[in-house]
Amino acid sequence: MWLVFKKELLELLRDRKTLFFMIALPLLLFPLIFGAFGFFASKAVKDAETKVLKYAIVGSEYAPGLSASLAEASDKFERVEVAADADFKQLIRDETIDFALKVPSNYDQPVLEGGQATLVLVLNDAGLNMVQSRIKELIDSQIEDKRRQAFDALALSDLQQAGLLKPVVIEKEDVADSRENWGEKIGGFLPYILFLLCLQGAMYPATDMGAGEKERGTLETLLISPTERYKLVLGKFLTIAFAGVTCALMTILSMAVWGVVLSQGMAIKVVGEFMSAISVLDFILMFLMLAPIAAIFAALLLSLSIYARSFKEAQSYMGSLIMVAILPIVMAMMPGVDLKGGWAWVPITNVALAIKELIKGTMDYVSLFAIFGSTVLIAGALIAFCVYWFNQEKVLFR
Amino acid sequence: MIEIKGLAKKFVVENVKKLSDQEKQDPRLKGRFFHSVEDVNFNCDKGQVLGLLGPNGAGKTTTLRMLSTAIKPTAGSVSINGVDILAEPLIARRKIGFLSGSTGLYGRLTGRENIEYFGRLHGVSESDLKYRIDELANLLDMQSFLDRRSESFSTGMKQKTSIARAVIHQPEVVILDEPTTGLDIMATQTVLDFIRRLKAQGTPVIFSTHHLDEVDELCDKVTVIDKGRTCFDGSLQDFKALSAGSMHESFLTTIKGAA
Repeated sequence: MWLVFKKELLELLRDRKTLFFMIALPLLLFPLIFGAFGFFASKAVKDAETKVLKYAIVGSEYAPGLSASLAEASDKFERVEVAADADFKQLIRDETIDFALKVPSNYDQPVLEGGQATLVLVLNDAGLNMVQSRIKELIDSQIEDKRRQAFDALALSDLQQAGLLKPVVIEKEDVADSRENWGEKIGGFLPYILFLLCLQGAMYPATDMGAGEKERGTLETLLISPTERYKLVLGKFLTIAFAGVTCALMTILSMAVWGVVLSQGMAIKVVGEFMSAISVLDFILMFLMLAPIAAIFAALLLSLSIYARSFKEAQSYMGSLIMVAILPIVMAMMPGVDLKGGWAWVPITNVALAIKELIKGTMDYVSLFAIFGSTVLIAGALIAFCVYWFNQEKVLFR
Repeated sequence: MIEIKGLAKKFVVENVKKLSDQEKQDPRLKGRFFHSVEDVNFNCDKGQVLGLLGPNGAGKTTTLRMLSTAIKPTAGSVSINGVDILAEPLIARRKIGFLSGSTGLYGRLTGRENIEYFGRLHGVSESDLKYRIDELANLLDMQSFLDRRSESFSTGMKQKTSIARAVIHQPEVVILDEPTTGLDIMATQTVLDFIRRLKAQGTPVIFSTHHLDEVDELCDKVTVIDKGRTCFDGSLQDFKALSAGSMHESFLTTIKGAA
């Protein structure tokens, strides 16, 4: 059995193509994609923040303070003179201006006299822009002034002022700690990536070791060697499962490392805190849960692969397997699906849910045994089927 | 000594309608079963070389696959030096060296690694393995390419490696399925010399072929199979004596006799 495992692994490692997909791709491509995404996103935000905005203002005579502060910030805003009755929509579409402000006549009156003032901001709000938040920055100080003026006129104490501004405040006391909070967010996603990568990583070697061996004509020679059939199957099976787990772990590891590298500063602290909240035991348990899943995938893939007449046929079978496998994993990501009730009995889904619970730190360790046990049982049955399958002439010599 | 008696193998036909007209007319098709091999008998003694002849589709490869234990016969018996290969396939496999007609190599392993892998599967010890590979490489003239990846091998190199792989465990019987098909003249000669050497060592060799000159050159015995049945089994002299002319005529006589 180890002989077969060793040889298959050697052959796998000799194959540049597999190595590339298994190691280079997750190590380099994922951070590259995320990095590029982050870079362009932050660049776009920065552009929107620093861009000089062209504006038109109607009724500036009602708000000398506002128009003065707009004119002052000439590195941020640039005034364009337009007629009071101009078509702002058209001007914005022509990119003559970025936004227009319509100042009401009561803008500079004290609140107690003029009441609420409605400042109209005309802009194209589709797409990323920071117009509103940048205008708000300027206006905030004026709002503050207006409030102070009114409070002074009414001669209110600080207490009364605060009460008037927010008569009732809701203070949230979250019993979930930050781990549970983050766990809910990441926890659903992690098993999804983990399982799919595991399947992905196992797929190529599985094709190669079943259908590939048939196609090359080495299978017959292998079958007549004086080795029990189950040893051959287990050797192949182990290689496939090993490849799947390696692929999944490598990717997760690279994502974690790159994530820490890329999100410097504050994020590091959050990630660090989050990671340290999860105990070593939980990590080991997560890995243990992954093992029977990898076994299930490997056994399924090997059965399909040995049934197929050729590489091509095997690949099309496996394409459908991905569709089937993705369903229970997506199930675990849906809100409201948790380990209570029936979902605990759905294979693969229950493991995904258990991993999520482990990350959140809310795992009921007793049910973990049940899930682990049942998954191991399924994996064992599938391996047994694989061995049976390898003994069928109609499968081997199709 | 290998003895085959009443060997038969039937396959389930999944969809009879899909078969070609020619296949439907084959008398071996009975209902849902295709009796690929119906009754094959022959034996091969120590130091003998047996040539297995027959038209395409006669059941030669199926017969040889049954001898190699790759597939199980429906009926009949095969025994090698008194060991029933059907009852004890694991023991029998150690005694058989089989070269399949459609065999291949692991392309990403070198020639040596290919041979080593199967040697180890057959339980050959590491020290023996090294020595034997060296010996076979000299015999089959493989030293120049033994440590290169086998994906770049020519047909001749591949066949030599396959043959070395088939005999690495020093089998008591060697079975070769069309070992010379597709080889150039030099490679063919190496293979034929190798068979001759096995014969000199006293190892019985069974090989199937379409080249009657190879049979004439090497064989002591000839077995002709047609439509799943043995229609000639005898010595080379008897086979030649079937017709006054060439061996080709003898071959055609046996087939006609059966029909």
